[in-house]
Amino acid sequence: MDDDLLPPEDNGDLQIAFIEASNERAHFVIKNSNLETANSLRRTMLAEIPTLAIDVVEVLDNTSVLADEFICHRLGLIPLSAKGIDELLYSRDCECDGYCELCSVVLTLQAKCESSDVMKVYARDLVITSSRGNQQLGNPVLTDPDRLGSCIVKLRRGQAIHMRCIAKKGIAKEHAKWAPTAAVGFEYDPGNRLRHLDYWYEEDPKKEWPVNEQHLNMDGVPPQEGEPFDYDAVPTRFFFDVETVGGMPPDEIVTKGISTLQEKLAAVIQELKGGDAGDNLDFGGAQSPTMNGMGYGGQDAGYTTPYGGGGPSATAYGGATSAYGGNPW
Amino acid sequence: MTRLTDDVPHRHESFLRDYGEKIVEVQDETRTPNTSLFTFNKEDHTLGNLISQRLHKYPFILFSAYKVPHPLFSSFELRVQTDGSITPKEAVLRCCQEIVEDLHKLKGKFNTEWAIHLAKQQVDEERRGREREQF
Ligand SMILES: [Zn+2]
Repeated sequence: MDDDLLPPEDNGDLQIAFIEASNERAHFVIKNSNLETANSLRRTMLAEIPTLAIDVVEVLDNTSVLADEFICHRLGLIPLSAKGIDELLYSRDCECDGYCELCSVVLTLQAKCESSDVMKVYARDLVITSSRGNQQLGNPVLTDPDRLGSCIVKLRRGQAIHMRCIAKKGIAKEHAKWAPTAAVGFEYDPGNRLRHLDYWYEEDPKKEWPVNEQHLNMDGVPPQEGEPFDYDAVPTRFFFDVETVGGMPPDEIVTKGISTLQEKLAAVIQELKGGDAGDNLDFGGAQSPTMNGMGYGGQDAGYTTPYGGGGPSATAYGGATSAYGGNPW
Repeated sequence: MTRLTDDVPHRHESFLRDYGEKIVEVQDETRTPNTSLFTFNKEDHTLGNLISQRLHKYPFILFSAYKVPHPLFSSFELRVQTDGSITPKEAVLRCCQEIVEDLHKLKGKFNTEWAIHLAKQQVDEERRGREREQF
């Protein structure tokens, strides 16, 4: 909003100021950070936060005009609540055969049109038919005023669909349906003082590339005409605008993004440290991304806290069972 | 069931390490002093750029850069040379630890500011509500 939102000018310490905070968006600026950290955070929020999405569909009946795989694809893209996703296992880490209550949520979609009007089947018609850790995990996200969700198919008289949808945990690196964010706005140096951008233009780049005035106002003194180029300047303020798909609140996306990145680094730390220790390294294997990092919970102060507590208590090193197979939660 | 053809990598291959596959493999580079080549498996620019760029900020680093050798293989190589006061492996280790600490601070700051901003919004909302009542 205004400059007065920002805390008194910095002393070089990391700072965060919010521009907007709501159920859908977290719009903020990180000050006194650096480009590589900001960008890696952006990338993890986009692609590596685990969420829930329909992954396997058993088609029991489909006499609608849409092909089975067409509807299955649509089902996969429906946003589901990811509340308590940490307690859900990745199916590939689970001991079960296929899927079970520890690693999936089952939603059933059943509808038949019996009137002469066209019947619309909506996301809200997905009914949870398995037990789960909490009463929100897997619920279709309904944000429209009528709380219908997105339309999946339309049915004419006599047409019916019946599908068992198995929702599983995953990350957007595997498929975009697992992305927690609809978009992550990311900007630095709105005045292009650092000249990281070389604008393409028809006649006048100033007219054709509107500047984000709000960000510009928060980015210190705007660039002056003819000011000498500072060869040593680096970006320090980063504007993030995180918008959720609906399954996870925006603040949780940011904190989970940070945690996920920490876990990735922790896995590297652990392996670099363990490399000298010989062959007690055998915790590797086809684990899911978040499990890799969980092991790190060593004695060292500072970087232990962020994920040492709260999460799964088994460490890949200490608790030998956790490596995989066993249920570390 | 759809079968992917052999030349299309499975979707999970970009992040799931095979059984026993290491995250980082360290190899000493003998052509230049105090140099190591780190191969990160199933990792990408997220860590590559983060680590290589951060290393530039340490005075004991002479060289640090990464490359993704092939777009279809999800790995990157990080080459680090130090001035000899610290080994490249120790440097990368220290770098990673400090990033984790920084991120921890960032998370704390974010949570505080989020709470403050929400509280402010609520106060504003109540004030507006009272003003409406007065009219
Ligand atoms: Zn299972």
